[in-house]
Amino acid sequence: MRKRLPLGILLLILLFTEGCAATARPLPLRVAIPDSENVQNFRTNYYVNWLEEKTGLALEFVTIRQSEGAEYLDALFASDADVDAVLFGDGFSIGEDELRRYAGAGELHARDNGSFYYANYGAGTRSGPGQILWINCDWLETLGLAIPRTTDELRAVLEAFRDGDPNGNGVADEIPLLGAVDDYAYSPTELLLEAFVYNDPYRSRLVLSGTRAECVAAGDEFREGLAYCAALCRDGLLDARAYSCRLSQLAELVNSPENLVGAFTTDSISSVIYPGNPEIMARYMHVAPLTGPHGVQNALYVEREPAVGAIIPARSTRKDDAERLLDTMLSEEASLIARYGEQGVDWAFSDGSDVSVSGGVSTIVTKNYLWNTPQNKHLSGIGPMWVRAEYLEGVTWNGVNSDAEYIDARARTSCRAFLPAAPGSAGRDEALSGFADGYIREFVTGERDIGSDTEWNRFVSELQRLARR
Amino acid sequence: MEPIRKRIAALGAALTLLCAGCTAATKAPEAPPAVDETAWETPEELYAKALEEDVLIVYTVSTRVTATKEAFEKAYPGLCVEVRDLRSPDLVDAVEKNHNEGLSACDVVLCNDNSGEFKARLVDTGIVVPYLPADIAAHRKGVADGEASFVYEAELLFYNGDRYDACPIDNLWALTEERWAGRVYMPNPLRSFSTYAFCGATFAHGDELAAAYRDYAGEALAVPEGSSAAEVFWERAARNIVFTNSSDEVAEALGNGDADFGVMVSSKLRLRGVGYALEPVWRLNPFAGCRTSFAAMLAADAKNVSCAKLFLRFLLGEADGTGDGYRPFCTAGTWSVRDDVPDGTETPLERIDLIVPDQDELIARRAEMERFWTETIRANATGQT
Repeated sequence: MRKRLPLGILLLILLFTEGCAATARPLPLRVAIPDSENVQNFRTNYYVNWLEEKTGLALEFVTIRQSEGAEYLDALFASDADVDAVLFGDGFSIGEDELRRYAGAGELHARDNGSFYYANYGAGTRSGPGQILWINCDWLETLGLAIPRTTDELRAVLEAFRDGDPNGNGVADEIPLLGAVDDYAYSPTELLLEAFVYNDPYRSRLVLSGTRAECVAAGDEFREGLAYCAALCRDGLLDARAYSCRLSQLAELVNSPENLVGAFTTDSISSVIYPGNPEIMARYMHVAPLTGPHGVQNALYVEREPAVGAIIPARSTRKDDAERLLDTMLSEEASLIARYGEQGVDWAFSDGSDVSVSGGVSTIVTKNYLWNTPQNKHLSGIGPMWVRAEYLEGVTWNGVNSDAEYIDARARTSCRAFLPAAPGSAGRDEALSGFADGYIREFVTGERDIGSDTEWNRFVSELQRLARR
Repeated sequence: MEPIRKRIAALGAALTLLCAGCTAATKAPEAPPAVDETAWETPEELYAKALEEDVLIVYTVSTRVTATKEAFEKAYPGLCVEVRDLRSPDLVDAVEKNHNEGLSACDVVLCNDNSGEFKARLVDTGIVVPYLPADIAAHRKGVADGEASFVYEAELLFYNGDRYDACPIDNLWALTEERWAGRVYMPNPLRSFSTYAFCGATFAHGDELAAAYRDYAGEALAVPEGSSAAEVFWERAARNIVFTNSSDEVAEALGNGDADFGVMVSSKLRLRGVGYALEPVWRLNPFAGCRTSFAAMLAADAKNVSCAKLFLRFLLGEADGTGDGYRPFCTAGTWSVRDDVPDGTETPLERIDLIVPDQDELIARRAEMERFWTETIRANATGQT
């Protein structure tokens, strides 16, 4: 007992000292972050450590298990969980429109510029060609066919896909052309219409003629394009599931080892082909914009809005610190780490003697290519960032033949000459789009007869009424 | 239930092969093995051992190996192959890095071996080793570029077959004419081994280039002091060249009409099968390209040695050349190294105006070449879009 007393006192002193040190340490900023297979350890991550050093903040990560942004925010605001910032990215996302609901309810902290979120520009697809047709070149080779250049050639190829058993299993299980409903980018109809008239579904197919907005969907060329698509659908060449299939189902079919899909459309091959799948990636080649029966050849141009990178809950007691963190993440220095990793180790500024993925002179030379790979240098696109287009376009290829960024860049190059000279400035009209999308689906799937003047005139008349509003 | 069925199937196949292998083993020639005694293991013995190993990792610069992988997995149930397709310099970097870090991350390496880089950094250092069983070696044609070379190709000039019925030039110097500005595509030689091999090899053929210039211009080539005929040629040609990352981009530019000429690997000729209008230039004064070859090697750090050897045997076409593994490489624009397998190209290599790179010289000139091409690309690629 006499021997134990000094030891107990010593322990108490030690605990007291430790307690003092603990109270002196800044409280960590609690940051909610989606789990990512590509980030090995948030605690030891190079970028996280850099941010902590740069801001003087200690970061404590709370892992988000939900996959939908709104689902998580609903749960967060319904609870009394203590979170100072929420980061989005790597599949966990929320749209600006959805955020307005939370802002309206006073749940989000407003920045000085009035915005309720911190943007992410650099992790996702950039502006440029918005839709690419990918075709199964294994099937083309098996059947001795060339990549189609015209709508007529495409039809002939799809017929051969349907009838020629190109996957060689003796079963007529080939799906010549498939799509998904999640976005216009996955709709073959939208792409095929480009061979008849410039068709921008994201802008409600509106073009400005002087001060008037006109809807190209009301034109004869558009009708001819729809008739072409309807014939494909009627003949089992354009699979009607394109109007019911979700992206995940499309991806499952395209990635099937049974080799089932002949062609599909996307804005990026990585949206459909699973990562780490070079065999499937090698199976598909891009098709340059098709030429229609009247020599029309267009590529859709899209301007991507920056994604939501982060928000600060209004009830955070550390809003100033959270702002400091997120503002730092938007700096160029931070954004380049967030996109390419450690400067000098994983990448360097180019000396101009390299060629970029998009064919121009490179601005960034990658030494260790980290994007879409498990690593511990950055957050795999999660959180706010602002990477200038000259870096995004000017990065060098990592040399991996199946790299989606490189495959996409080559596909986009084939569209360049067919982009509109002056991208339309008309905005999107939800009512007009909703109406047109429904009718287009019905015309193509045969629920309405595209050959019927009565049906067509009804469609045009309502379109024009909506466009005039 | 499914895995058990697979195992039984694999075992059955292994036993069948084992029985067949006994016969094959007795017929094997008595020559010493190319690498070591392990080279003498029969396919059946290798298969039995491979079933105990992990997934085979193949680093390759050619996506054609994915067809070999599929055929291999079908021929040897229970074995799995993972393919990582990289550009040549990146492949060499990755394999070297793995080795230096003591990682067994790769088992088989397939690489263009003409620039000297592969030889200097991986072969001469023993990071990769050849594996050439004697029963396959017996069928090799003459002397190849290296004992592990398994298919010949060329880095070759092509023209746009949609636009021209016949090659519109007969002399390499014609590519320096202003009318071809932006119409000639070529991979960046600092990022493509085969392009580097061609560009580098031209420096050893200065006399032929100078003679061709006389034929073309009717006067002697003026070569500034300290320069060379090859430097003069490339400095002029580079003004017209659009530098790309790979031969795929060159083929696409020819296919979509952006290019009139392209320098690329001859194996892209197979893309004619899907409609690309690629026409090879077989005859050109003084040459139309250089001969190249592919090496298939075993990584010295391989974790799955038996599976790697079995895969290499399969890739090389097996003893009689009929194996499905070699077939994906015997396509248009390639030439077989085996005397029992026909070339993939009708025109024999001997009837094409090709130079042969000297790897040792390319290694010796590496620093000089890098300086020259860095300057050349920096001076000419700025205007590329």
